[in-house]
Amino acid sequence: MPVTGRIRSFWNWLLHRSAVEKELDAEVQAFYEVVVQRHVENGLQEAEARRLARLQFDSPEIVKEQVRDARPGAALSSLSRDVNYSLRRLRKAPVFALVTIVTLALGIGANATIFSIVSRFVLRPPPVGNPSTLMALHTTHHAECCNNFSWPLFTDVRDQAKSFSGVAAYYELVPASLGGNGDPVRVWGQATTANFFDVTQLAMTLGRGFRSDEEHLPVIVLGHALWQQRFAADPAITGKAVNLSGKPLTVVGVAPPGFHGVDQILDAQFWVPLANLDALLPNKGKLDARNYHWLAVIGRLTPGTAPSQATSEMNLLAKRIVKAHREADFDDGFRFERAGSLPPRDESAILIFLTALSLVALMVLGIAGANVGNLFLVQASSRQREFAVRLALGATRRHLLYQMLIESVMLALCGGLCGVALSLWATRGLAAFRVPAPVPLDLTVDVDARVLLFSFLLSLATGLLFGLVPAWTVVRPMIATGLKGEDQLARPGRLFSLGNVLVVSQIAMSVVLLCSTGLFLRSMQSASQIEIGFHSSGILMMAVDPRLNGYSPERTTQFLNQLRDRIANLPGVRSATYTDAIPLSGGNRSDGFSVVGQAKLTLDSAELYMIGPDYFQTIGTSFIAGHPFTNENPSGPKLAIVNQALVAKLFKNQDPIGQQLSDNGVTYQITGVVKNIKSRVLGEDYRPVLYRSLAQDIARDPSFAGYRIVVQFDHDPAAVAQAVRAEIHSLDPTLAIFDSQSMQEHLRDALFLPRLAGSVFGTFGVLGLVLAAVGLYGVMNSWVSRRTREIGIRLALGARITEIQWLVVRRGMQLTLLAIVPGLALAWAMAKLFTSALYGIQPHDTLTFAIAPLFLACVAFIACWIPARRAAGAAPLDSLRHE
Amino acid sequence: MGKSADLLQGTLDLLILRTLEFGPLHGVGIADRVEQLSRGVFVVGPGSLFPALHRLADNGWITGEWSETESKRRVKTYTITTSGRTQLVEEKRNWKKVFTAMNRVLAEEV
Repeated sequence: MPVTGRIRSFWNWLLHRSAVEKELDAEVQAFYEVVVQRHVENGLQEAEARRLARLQFDSPEIVKEQVRDARPGAALSSLSRDVNYSLRRLRKAPVFALVTIVTLALGIGANATIFSIVSRFVLRPPPVGNPSTLMALHTTHHAECCNNFSWPLFTDVRDQAKSFSGVAAYYELVPASLGGNGDPVRVWGQATTANFFDVTQLAMTLGRGFRSDEEHLPVIVLGHALWQQRFAADPAITGKAVNLSGKPLTVVGVAPPGFHGVDQILDAQFWVPLANLDALLPNKGKLDARNYHWLAVIGRLTPGTAPSQATSEMNLLAKRIVKAHREADFDDGFRFERAGSLPPRDESAILIFLTALSLVALMVLGIAGANVGNLFLVQASSRQREFAVRLALGATRRHLLYQMLIESVMLALCGGLCGVALSLWATRGLAAFRVPAPVPLDLTVDVDARVLLFSFLLSLATGLLFGLVPAWTVVRPMIATGLKGEDQLARPGRLFSLGNVLVVSQIAMSVVLLCSTGLFLRSMQSASQIEIGFHSSGILMMAVDPRLNGYSPERTTQFLNQLRDRIANLPGVRSATYTDAIPLSGGNRSDGFSVVGQAKLTLDSAELYMIGPDYFQTIGTSFIAGHPFTNENPSGPKLAIVNQALVAKLFKNQDPIGQQLSDNGVTYQITGVVKNIKSRVLGEDYRPVLYRSLAQDIARDPSFAGYRIVVQFDHDPAAVAQAVRAEIHSLDPTLAIFDSQSMQEHLRDALFLPRLAGSVFGTFGVLGLVLAAVGLYGVMNSWVSRRTREIGIRLALGARITEIQWLVVRRGMQLTLLAIVPGLALAWAMAKLFTSALYGIQPHDTLTFAIAPLFLACVAFIACWIPARRAAGAAPLDSLRHE
Repeated sequence: MGKSADLLQGTLDLLILRTLEFGPLHGVGIADRVEQLSRGVFVVGPGSLFPALHRLADNGWITGEWSETESKRRVKTYTITTSGRTQLVEEKRNWKKVFTAMNRVLAEEV
């Protein structure tokens, strides 16, 4: 079958439509002319001959229509006809089209934004070669997932597992200070086995990954972003040496853009062979011990191996290893899943949160869709006469329905397009939220192909659903009444008409949204009033990590003390100190303790902070008893200051001062008690905290995240920050300064979750409320229009204006009340889901549940009152002459 | 048209190609020739003739050109192409196959 000819013919028709049509007309016309001429030759009058020809055959128009129907792409051309018709119609009703598009854009934009989060964190495979066969391996402990591997366990798996063609291990995050252009910067990277790049099958931007003989060589692969920012995308970077924490490493390659480790959340920017780890992280521990679990492991499935086969092999392997090594801290088995999946520990929590968000977004779309459905209904009811005429002229009902669907789908697709544009803007807004975490995270979200497809399908479905429902109701008019211009849908008095059902359900949904919004706004407000236990402003912080520049613990202490003395004497500085971590950074180190001499008194976990002189005075935590640290002797007996929560747990009826606490053989003597602070996150109950002297503990327990200078200033923070920077660099110009921020900024980051939830729900709640109010207004407005005559008669018979107004408002408020009851019930049930995300208020917060419906009722009242005024303002005679 | 037999799907194409085998014809000419050759059994109206002509032209089996009749009337005449002739041979063979098969089926005593 020569398809090309048919395509050419379709193409020809597409490009030269009028010429093709003219030709067809002439062709068919000529046929009739020949027939007529023949009749004339047979002795008929011309007029008679024409009549006969018409009787003999179908009319030329029908013949042409049949040719058109048989033409290739006939369905398309009829579609384009319908689309054209719809476009013409919409051009005549621009306000209707605009309102519909904007409404749907808001609904679809909300969903596209939430879905781009889902797409980014749940659906996107990591940017590695063949992501479907790359697995992340975990070990389980007492059947609980998920732990890292020890080095010997990794080599066992690497050497014995047949299901994996390659197994690579890496240490997830190594901090380092990187030299290059300008001041050194702090960067994070990963230390990997040499086969890491072979197993991940990365298509390198420049150079190559590690060779198998480079396990112990000083080489480095740079991340794409780091290469661009720090080395100006130097195309000849391979072979050059870069300075990483004072160590020269030769660049062998640059990773592809978008790759920052197999994990999709951590933001690693360089990769070095594992043997370099010792230089980067001194005192890391016994790296080759079987009970030291420090490696993340990935494996490439052997081609043709199903994951289930691999699982059974790994189970057997686990049994064998457990038998051989009883001392290992590993007693169950392995678990693996597609690399780049959500962290298994938090997976379910994240999924629940995303599901809740998606539900809320769908609710917004539901409200928007109901609005559009109602708009269509109003539009369609004013088109009853048109439909009746077209039906009478021979259009089929199916074709009318089809036509209306094309219209609604077209509008929905336009709305979807605008919605995607909105979500582009919204995802950028999301990027403004900074997550407080001690490690670098990449949480950027953008609109990808999956989001586009999702939005397209969602628009299509919305258009079909909210176009079909009203279309179905109106495309069955009685021709007789329709032609007379009577509106089928105008039967007054029906409370459960389609329009009312739509408006009631959208008000109900907006009650749910509004209650959720109220809860999260209240939570945001109460979170910002939580007593954190230290100054919330007037403090500057800056971090350095001298260990990365090869400082010994003694030299670090010396450096910090020297720096502190200098900074404390700067103008505008009230006091200064140093510590290993600022509270409310998402969690620092913690350890268990027992009371010396009272073996039964133990504490599972106390938060640990290492502090310098003047710490409590600078940060603003008040002393209750005892005395602060002064200049502690590093080798003297170790001292500790604890908080009230720790005292409450261990020393209910005893004096804590002078008591001794022991942590794995290290003993601390308590010299002071301070007030409680929020240590990890704002929402927590006060945790026990133990402060140690940095000078005494830095050698035994160094921080891997650097040390922070904390400065309390009088005024002009910018000048003070400038001066502090200058002091650091005057002591050592090669030190990278990082995490420089004020306490206000830090606390804003700590408020991340309540702020995010407040913003998202606030936006959705306001959207829902506005859409629902507009919907109610529209319905009441058209209700008034339909009853103009009735209102005129009432007025003519002497009804007072207030009575007419009351008539309209009563109707609207009836609908609102009908919606508020189920809405409140639903909101009440949903609030339970939010329990863990709320700060300082109960999920069934009375204030919220009282105010939200009241507020909604007020808005609804206004939405009804405007059409009511219009109804009452009509002159009785005009109303009667209405038709 | 009640007297004319219903055309089998696809047979019209064969009929048209066959009538054009003897030389170019215009639309009415084709209809006349079909009726004449089938002794009045097949009567082709413009409603089925024109869609078929367009289909054949799209496939490249016939071409249409404007010309004048003896009475100086502009009409479109259709000519069979080389590939149209090949197609005709093919369709004739097909038809014979179907025809003999049908006859065999109908002649069989059950």
